[in-house]
Amino acid sequence: MSKTTFSAKNVVKHFGGVTALSDGNIEIASGEVVALLGANGSGKSTLSKALTGVVVPNSGQLLRNEKPMNFSSPLDAKNYGIASVYQELSLIPRMTIAENIWLMHEPTRGTFVNQKELFNRTADLLDLFKGTISASIRPDSYVYHLGSDERQIVEILKAYSLKPSLLILDEATASLDNKQVDRLFSLIENWKKEEIAIEFISHRLEEVFRIADKVTVLRNGKTVAYSIPIVDIKRNDLVRYMVGEKSLAKEHELYSQERLTKEKTAISIHGLRGINLRGISVDVKEGEILGLGGLRGQGQSEMLLSIFGAIQHSGKIEINGKLVTFTNPKQAINQGIAFVPGDRNSQGLFSIRSILENLMLPSWEKYGTVIRMKAAVQDAEKISKSLNLVMGGLNDPVSSLSGGNAQKVVVGKWLLKSPKILLLDDPTKGVDVGAKDELYQLLYRLREQGTTILFYSSEDDELLNLCDRIVVFYDGQINAVLTGEDINKNTLVSTSMSSQLIGAEVEAK
Amino acid sequence: MTKLFEKFRRFNEKYYFIFVIFLFILAIVVNYSLQANFFKASVLRGFAKSVLPVAMLAAGEAFVIIGGGIDLSNGAIVSLVNCVIVYLFGVTGNTNLSVWWVVLIGIMAGMMAGLVNGILVAYLRLQAFVATFASSFLFAGLALLILPQPQGNVPSLLNTIYRGNFLGINFPIWVLILTLVIWLLLKSSRFGKSLFATGGDAKSAFLSGVKVPRVSMMTYVIAGLFSALCAVVVTMSMGTGDPLIGDSLNMNSIVAVVLGGTLMSGGRGGIFGTILGSAIIIMIRQIISFANVPTWWQQFVYGVIVMLILAGPGISLLIQRKHYDRN
Repeated sequence: MSKTTFSAKNVVKHFGGVTALSDGNIEIASGEVVALLGANGSGKSTLSKALTGVVVPNSGQLLRNEKPMNFSSPLDAKNYGIASVYQELSLIPRMTIAENIWLMHEPTRGTFVNQKELFNRTADLLDLFKGTISASIRPDSYVYHLGSDERQIVEILKAYSLKPSLLILDEATASLDNKQVDRLFSLIENWKKEEIAIEFISHRLEEVFRIADKVTVLRNGKTVAYSIPIVDIKRNDLVRYMVGEKSLAKEHELYSQERLTKEKTAISIHGLRGINLRGISVDVKEGEILGLGGLRGQGQSEMLLSIFGAIQHSGKIEINGKLVTFTNPKQAINQGIAFVPGDRNSQGLFSIRSILENLMLPSWEKYGTVIRMKAAVQDAEKISKSLNLVMGGLNDPVSSLSGGNAQKVVVGKWLLKSPKILLLDDPTKGVDVGAKDELYQLLYRLREQGTTILFYSSEDDELLNLCDRIVVFYDGQINAVLTGEDINKNTLVSTSMSSQLIGAEVEAK
Repeated sequence: MTKLFEKFRRFNEKYYFIFVIFLFILAIVVNYSLQANFFKASVLRGFAKSVLPVAMLAAGEAFVIIGGGIDLSNGAIVSLVNCVIVYLFGVTGNTNLSVWWVVLIGIMAGMMAGLVNGILVAYLRLQAFVATFASSFLFAGLALLILPQPQGNVPSLLNTIYRGNFLGINFPIWVLILTLVIWLLLKSSRFGKSLFATGGDAKSAFLSGVKVPRVSMMTYVIAGLFSALCAVVVTMSMGTGDPLIGDSLNMNSIVAVVLGGTLMSGGRGGIFGTILGSAIIIMIRQIISFANVPTWWQQFVYGVIVMLILAGPGISLLIQRKHYDRN
């Protein structure tokens, strides 16, 4: 196959009055991986979507081998050999894996879809990830049965099935666990040999350093670094490109271990069972940040949802020494428990309602039956200031905020309520470095107020930096409890992988 | 126990039409117990004739609902096409046009009406509910303009075909079989996949390269076609024109679609279930009248039964959950 070069030059895109992209540039040649980096709201999704025809730029050029491409829909882009893994995924839950992957390019016999060929080709594609996904997944499994990691993999295979010349991976690793990421990266190495050009977007810098050949960085809609070979750049420089000079992430203060032993137990869980949970027991101290680690989908989210009373469970949960049984979230909220979901778009926010309403939602009752609006607005202003919310005004809808700022609203709405226990279900998924840092500060502040935090994250580094203690989940059970010096990457990763490994580890000690 | 219910739920999701088949058999059993000659050939033939128009209309509606929309105007389209056909026959039943031309023009009129709906919803982006509700007045009004009162005759040829047999199977059954065959072919074509994709998640479908507006418009055109076919069938059986004939048919067609296991939100369903759903509706009517329910109670009883059936899946889910809580 001959070399193909895709590029975007001086791409500009406005949405209404907001300029999402003022000068977007990127160049990807076949056989290379170019990482596109930038904080949330820097325009990297917009630039990628311009290349896939989802967004039509106001000006600028899209070129293939220096010849302009004209298109206005994903279908047109497909015809130029461009395929994308979309951040928000493009799968249809009520269709099978095979139907999803081959949608609109099904193998046909005459005018009819060749079902057998469809099944076989899908099985071949799924084999690429064999061993990292559940063996029960078949081409005719429905997508709504799949976990988020498996959906992500189907989405990746769907893009690859188009035999693209340019493959765009927009946050394709966000939902994957380490093993799956490793597999994807070895596949990418093969795809490079197949002369596919790959654009790689990820918030995880270590991944960028592992897989990318070149990096292009956007900041506030402008290209600030263009096709720099990865070997010529250091991690800190890259972060500086992304967030500018002013706000580099600070090293986090570590919480003293002595204090923990003094604090009293805030929540005690004994023999928690339910969907994906096979007997969890753990005590959490007041003011502690407890990390829930392990591979994705080992029961971490289910544990948080059980405590919140959102899903059925059995077992004993004691809060401040009092036995509680929650059958719905309202009861949990009344006991001072707050929950921050990972999927902020569908669970944590009312995106067409105003920022004010979203911030106030859990605490309206503080302002009387007939709401004292003035006091409410004042409090909301105080909070939005302390959150550093970048917004037009309190009355703007939440949908006008960038991802990181929206997530701050999800967490910030509990500030007024000062919850006793805060449950976080992978809150920083798809949030950029700057906003993450502010979120961490927020958590520290809540902890100072005496809030106990149970924190699940799919990013190991985050757990390691933030948590006083980490319980590692494996297959619905707690595999290990890491404290003090054991809170390091090696131990966390090895205890995450399998139950046998721990046995070996303990013996070694 | 948890696992068992989870399995049941999955089974239910995958074989959602089992509930319809169960209802269908139940309805037959009840019907037979009240009407001993239910399985006599002539009675069955009559039954098929009552099912046919409902099934035709519901089949069109099913396309729209699977594609994520709704069509409230299909009853009005039936009236319109019925009036167009009778008008072209010159009210007296004698015309220079051949019977086939008249029927063809009637069908084209139905498809044009569907096209209007399709353009309103798919390209002008009006809410399907509002757009088709409004257009139903348009079509009903046109029907009244064309044929101000019930009148007219149609050539006897149409009635002969309607009562006819071919290979020992009578006309309504042939039409239903043909509809099913066409559905199965369509379903396994690329159009079928894009139809389910559009109804399942329009945005994902668009990202996958499906021409979403075109698919959604097509569903309304197909609905128009089936409404016209329903009108042709109705005209064949009545032999006359009535500008208000379709008024009460719309809701019935939607109920038939839902009874047949098609999701109101789109993306799941089919014509087989829809035809069963239509048959169930007719059987419920028969059961009510054979059970000697007083006339003024019939409508009420029909409503209660339909409501219970539609609530069935939801109630069974509630019971499952109760059961789960206790464990």
